[in-house]
Amino acid sequence: MKVLFVIPAYNEEENIGKVLDELRKDASFADILVIDDCSKDRTKEIVEKKKVPCITNIFNMRYAMAIQTGIKYAYENGYDYVIQFDADGQHIAKEAIKLLDEIKKGKADIVIGSRYLVDTGYPCPFFRRIGTKIFSLLIKLFCHKTIADPLSGFQCLNARVIEYYSKMGNYPEYPDANLVIEMLKKGYNIVEIPTKMRLREAGVSMHGGIIKPIKYMIEMFYSIFFILISTPRQKKVDNK
Amino acid sequence: MRNIYFVIIALFILIYIVMEVRKKRFSIKESFWWVISSIIMLILAIFPYSIDKIAKLLNISYPPSLLFVLCILFLLFINFRNSKKIAEQQEKIIELAQNVAILKNEKK
Repeated sequence: MKVLFVIPAYNEEENIGKVLDELRKDASFADILVIDDCSKDRTKEIVEKKKVPCITNIFNMRYAMAIQTGIKYAYENGYDYVIQFDADGQHIAKEAIKLLDEIKKGKADIVIGSRYLVDTGYPCPFFRRIGTKIFSLLIKLFCHKTIADPLSGFQCLNARVIEYYSKMGNYPEYPDANLVIEMLKKGYNIVEIPTKMRLREAGVSMHGGIIKPIKYMIEMFYSIFFILISTPRQKKVDNK
Repeated sequence: MRNIYFVIIALFILIYIVMEVRKKRFSIKESFWWVISSIIMLILAIFPYSIDKIAKLLNISYPPSLLFVLCILFLLFINFRNSKKIAEQQEKIIELAQNVAILKNEKK
């Protein structure tokens, strides 16, 4: 069984070293791949010093496309599972084992590590909490499924999802609630389990400012609308 | 109901854009401003006198000129956005082509 950690990194020189050390220590069974999204700092240098495989994008493609690069790599090299892992130290390596155990049961195609499912002591910014609530409600409304944390980037994918995501046009620029709705509508099963998360230690988050979140919300609603009118509801595909 | 023709035209444009996106021949992201503009067109077609009222509010004596100004501004906006995208893409294509060329030479 081949497992790959996909870590998209953009200007993460302060955090990436620690993240890689932790993964080496707590999740030594899996391979690690860092996607350096054309960072302007020493991210690539640090990754190479740790002797971790690193793909550098030719130009900055943003978070989602960096992840898709990693998923394409996983597909071409025949990995069974991909775990999306953040480079900023928010995600905890030991918790990734929980995701893996859940997906190995074979019931889920995607396992999301959620920070809201039970009280895991994660202090969350006000706007993010409201956004999460709204998207969670939309998913419940259209897909009749409770996903408490659709914005979580801590996810584990099985081979079927890896194959689907690796195709051109199948991975959107903002892979959040819209992707969850699309995958549920297409008959993929998504399971959520509670995981602990840390607060960001250093560097700048990609969801900052005031205009950006508003723009993000509008784009999200717009793309959810199109997913709803263009994806026919399919029967659940049985897992092997 | 003279404006029924305009309503039909606006509806046709809106439905056409939405269908193109549904068939994945047009991206969701790029369609946003086109859908917004066709919805505005539809609203103006249904309530043609709203443009008179807005013109009155803005102290414009000849209301159709407001419509033209708005149209031109919108077209300028879309055009500038496209120009920007083209410039961005051109740079990316050059970068990609150079990298492919280097990779090809390495293989020999």
